[in-house]
Amino acid sequence: MSWISQWSIEQRVLAGFGLVFLGILVISVMSYRNTAVVVKNSRLDTSSHELVQLLGSIEEALIAAESGHRRYLVTGDESYLKAYRGLVEQMPEFSRYLEALAGLSGQQARITQLDQLIRQQLDIETQAISQRVTQGAEAVRHLALPGVAKRELDDIHRLIADLESSEQQSTRTRVLQSAGTTRSTIALLALGAVLQLVLLGSVYFLIHHDITNRRRVAAELRRQGELLQAANKELEAFSYSVSHDLRAPLRHIDGYAALLSKTAGEALNDKARRYLDTISDSAKQMGQLIDDLLVFSRMGRQEMLHSTVNLNQLIKTVIHDLRLDLQANTISWTIGSLPDVPGDPAMLRQVFMNLLSNAVKFTATRPKPRIEIGASRDTGGEVTVFVRDNGVGFDMQYVNKLFGVFQRLHRNDEFEGTGIGLANVRRIIHRHGGRTWAEGAIDQGATFYVSLPLKRTSS
Amino acid sequence: MTTVKPILLAEDNPRDAELALAAMEEHHIADKVVVCHDGAEVLDYLYCRGAYKSRECGNPVVVFLDLKMPKVDGIEVLRTIKNDVNLKPIPVVMLTSSREERDLAQSYALGANAYVVKPVEFQQFISAVKELGVFWGVLNEPPPEGS
Repeated sequence: MSWISQWSIEQRVLAGFGLVFLGILVISVMSYRNTAVVVKNSRLDTSSHELVQLLGSIEEALIAAESGHRRYLVTGDESYLKAYRGLVEQMPEFSRYLEALAGLSGQQARITQLDQLIRQQLDIETQAISQRVTQGAEAVRHLALPGVAKRELDDIHRLIADLESSEQQSTRTRVLQSAGTTRSTIALLALGAVLQLVLLGSVYFLIHHDITNRRRVAAELRRQGELLQAANKELEAFSYSVSHDLRAPLRHIDGYAALLSKTAGEALNDKARRYLDTISDSAKQMGQLIDDLLVFSRMGRQEMLHSTVNLNQLIKTVIHDLRLDLQANTISWTIGSLPDVPGDPAMLRQVFMNLLSNAVKFTATRPKPRIEIGASRDTGGEVTVFVRDNGVGFDMQYVNKLFGVFQRLHRNDEFEGTGIGLANVRRIIHRHGGRTWAEGAIDQGATFYVSLPLKRTSS
Repeated sequence: MTTVKPILLAEDNPRDAELALAAMEEHHIADKVVVCHDGAEVLDYLYCRGAYKSRECGNPVVVFLDLKMPKVDGIEVLRTIKNDVNLKPIPVVMLTSSREERDLAQSYALGANAYVVKPVEFQQFISAVKELGVFWGVLNEPPPEGS
């Protein structure tokens, strides 16, 4: 039954009902044929019965005609020819009947022979009558005693007896056949009923089995959903706790370091002051790290907003928000025409905030920083946006580390950062159903690519 | 000055409270500050009961409210204040470590007048507390008493 389990519920139901239908069809056809046989037999019985009756009548009439005819030959009394004349009159009708019934009984030959014999007898008798009329009683005396058509009459008797026994024989055969087919029809109907019950039962079983399976899967899914929801809640509580409780001690470290520096004032030498500054810096750095991590975790959980984002407008505001007026070297920007993409505006803003602030950060040491932003529409129904800079670049052998959490390719005294920005970029782009990659070489600048599907496939 | 209306600071963490006071000290408004260490104490103060039974009754000029506090948390205190006809006019500033959207939304829904996330950096913290203290404690005209 393993092949059945591969069928869908629709196929099973179809197969089940198909079999029921086929069963009903076969049984109906066979029952019809059986019934047709019984009906035909009963019709044949009727005609056979009629034939036997007809033969009886004919025989009776022949006997009466013959005996009347013999008396006439002896006596010359015309009134004895009444039966004979009646027979002559009736003969065409008898012939018609015989012919009609012969077709049904399959005894054509015998009946034709019978018809001929009767006509022969009548002919002989007619001849005898005319002889009696023309030549007188003496001429036919030798005929009158044994009867003129004695031989024919005997033949007719035998023939009729044969016909009758043959009809009886086939009637008996038909009765047996009818009884047989009736029994088989009853058996077939019973078998059909059983078959249909079995098939209905198995269809019910299959449906029931499938529904039970579906219920089980639904329950399992619901349970998994609940587990997931619980895990998500726990995570949320965790990050809430991190957000609230981890920040407080950092605030205290920085705060008390500042208070100490203020209170001790002049008493501190440069070394002690540097130590205090380091304490403050470390606390601030960890504060930044916590904030970035919280953003990262929020980007994974946050419900996505589905709207259309105008990338040109987005890039403009991001550049404005970067406060580039604080930058020492003026950046030369090249911004191509960017398309509108489907996505979450706040999340995509975060993506380009990270990519552009990285570009700004890593070109800060260049005398003539250049940043280029552009887009190309690919064939696969997605659009690729790139951010290219002429900054410090990176070694391609570390390209796989770029988008990982806490992965940094530069020391903190070279470039500040927590190592979460690009991880965030990747997470957001993945949630939009897109891809991220990068190219670069040391001191040759870097290019970061994000591709976004133009159709909504995000989770 | 007839009656100096106090600033009520609800802060369960004594270090945070000390740092806030140090910040206000720099701007000479620390003497107006009353510190409560949990939500229940804040309610006791506002309703002049328990430890504050004998205080001269009157609403503070502003309440700085931490979200996470023992016994009764900040959200509960905020709900009580904004549901009480007499306490409702008091400006309530949420002063908290939490940047969570849920906390922000809930606070504003309950009628908080401002929501400030405590900066980690002390200098920023000082200027934030100073600005808050000066704005709500000095510049802002409180609602008339008994309104």
